[in-house]
Amino acid sequence: MKPGRPIDLSTVPPGVQYFLDDEVALRRSIERDVVGVFSGWGYTEIDLPIFDAYDLFALGMGDEVASRTYRFTARDGTTVALRPDLTSLVARTVATRLRARQRPLRLAYTGEVFRADEPRRGRQHEFHQLGIEHVGWASPESDIEILLVALEALTVLGLDDARVVVGHAGFFRGIVERLGLAQEAVAELRTLVDRRQSAAVERFLAPFASAGECAAFARLITLAGGMCVVDDARALVTNPRSAASLGELTAILTTLGELGLERCISVDLGDVAGLGYYTGMMFSIYVPGWGLPLGSGGRYDGLLAKFGSDEPAVGFSLSLDWLAGAIAARGLDASRRRTPVSVVLEAGSELGRLFADAKRLRNEGRPVCIVPAKAEEPAT
Amino acid sequence: MSLTIALAKGRLQDETLARLERGGVRIDRELLESRRLRLADTSGQYELLLVKPADVPVYVEYGVADAGVCGSDVLAEHDADVHEPLDLGYGRCRLAVAAPVETSGNDYGHVSTLRVATKYPRVAGSYFRHLGVPVELIVLSGSVELAPLTGLAERIVDLVESGRTLEENGLAMTDVIAEVSARLIVNRASYQLKRAAVAGLVAILAG
Repeated sequence: MKPGRPIDLSTVPPGVQYFLDDEVALRRSIERDVVGVFSGWGYTEIDLPIFDAYDLFALGMGDEVASRTYRFTARDGTTVALRPDLTSLVARTVATRLRARQRPLRLAYTGEVFRADEPRRGRQHEFHQLGIEHVGWASPESDIEILLVALEALTVLGLDDARVVVGHAGFFRGIVERLGLAQEAVAELRTLVDRRQSAAVERFLAPFASAGECAAFARLITLAGGMCVVDDARALVTNPRSAASLGELTAILTTLGELGLERCISVDLGDVAGLGYYTGMMFSIYVPGWGLPLGSGGRYDGLLAKFGSDEPAVGFSLSLDWLAGAIAARGLDASRRRTPVSVVLEAGSELGRLFADAKRLRNEGRPVCIVPAKAEEPAT
Repeated sequence: MSLTIALAKGRLQDETLARLERGGVRIDRELLESRRLRLADTSGQYELLLVKPADVPVYVEYGVADAGVCGSDVLAEHDADVHEPLDLGYGRCRLAVAAPVETSGNDYGHVSTLRVATKYPRVAGSYFRHLGVPVELIVLSGSVELAPLTGLAERIVDLVESGRTLEENGLAMTDVIAEVSARLIVNRASYQLKRAAVAGLVAILAG
């Protein structure tokens, strides 16, 4: 900044956020609670760099996400980017430095990610994620574990009416393989299913199956539900890949049912939003009163192979920003605030005693503020 | 569980209210004639928000409204991340390119940069980009037909219903970008959390 050209300090760039007071307290306490749940399940924390090689993110998340990074040139001339996601950084670490470590590997991370998007749907350029990755064990156990960790985190946060909506990437893939659809046709059907345009889905499928089957299928993917949806699907869709994914969903639902968690979970066979990324079970988390998903996750067995270590992985992340929003909207923040029983000590007395008193009170666990004596104006 | 529905004021409002009424969702006549923008139906099951058409997807994306009714033109322009379970079939019109009648069709070879006036910069921009035609988008909020008459633009991209407005202003349609109709849209969270209520609304509006 040249001297004589004052910066307008009250202007902030779009997408930038500052948090103050109760908001910070709420965010910190959410983070503490969630990380506590993660560590309770044996996940150890990994602290990740804020920026890394651009190519790393392009490899992990694809060019689309990478193109929306903030990037700059490092001193050696390579292009680096502010991290647009955390999973890529974890994946490269798992595939390289932690390659020899015993599996399954359980890692937890927290931190902000950066995307130079138009701020939209409450998402700023910087948003904060809390997540875990479970690497090296493709099994129903690990899928169920991830779901249970997510549900426990939500319960600890007081969001016990949260709903986890589970789908499976293999269900849709099996169908389009069976129909032998070309790539553009797959993309078209996927959009129709994602938008839940049931009439258009029926029209699209008409050349491939009987009218009754088309209608039943359109109903299936446009209506979410419980175990009955899976049962209906099994009767209708019999290709091996789809059938296997329905089997996995049945195992998940059965176990969660045995744990008394039926009301927290529903099935959505029309979930195709994350299809480019997930390979197995996938899910999104919603709570009443908040229109955006608080988190999502699933199995992505293809990701680590991109980093040279072909092994299965499953994980999920929560959005700290949206958790804080949803919790604040419910007015649950009062109980999370550290009640400021602040003790006011008036200055002007003997300094040694003043600070000794303050220390004694802090040792009792009470926050202490030292303020000027009433008659005096604060020094300027 | 009650549902909040964002309704586009104007072109689609009467038909949407009529469909809702046929399905048993009644709004007090007096309430409708008032200037209130937030109306409860007589059963207390539904709350309606009357908003500008272009704002319907915004209310629904954020989940402030569980569902909404607006034209597919608005959805395309907003690139709304919502479910769209029902094509309501009314409010049919076209999102089209129009030019002065004396201009030759859709030959864009003779201009280096085509000036296009529109209320739909996203749709228009992407349409001409795919044709490989460089455009200068001039974003207007109404009376778009004036732009070619006054020399502000060579083409417009706008909704065409009967074509009469075009005709009366010496314009003709040169290309159809999309067929437009009213759509029911639903917030992704509401779709999962208020499944029965959403299914009920779909049934009512499907008629």
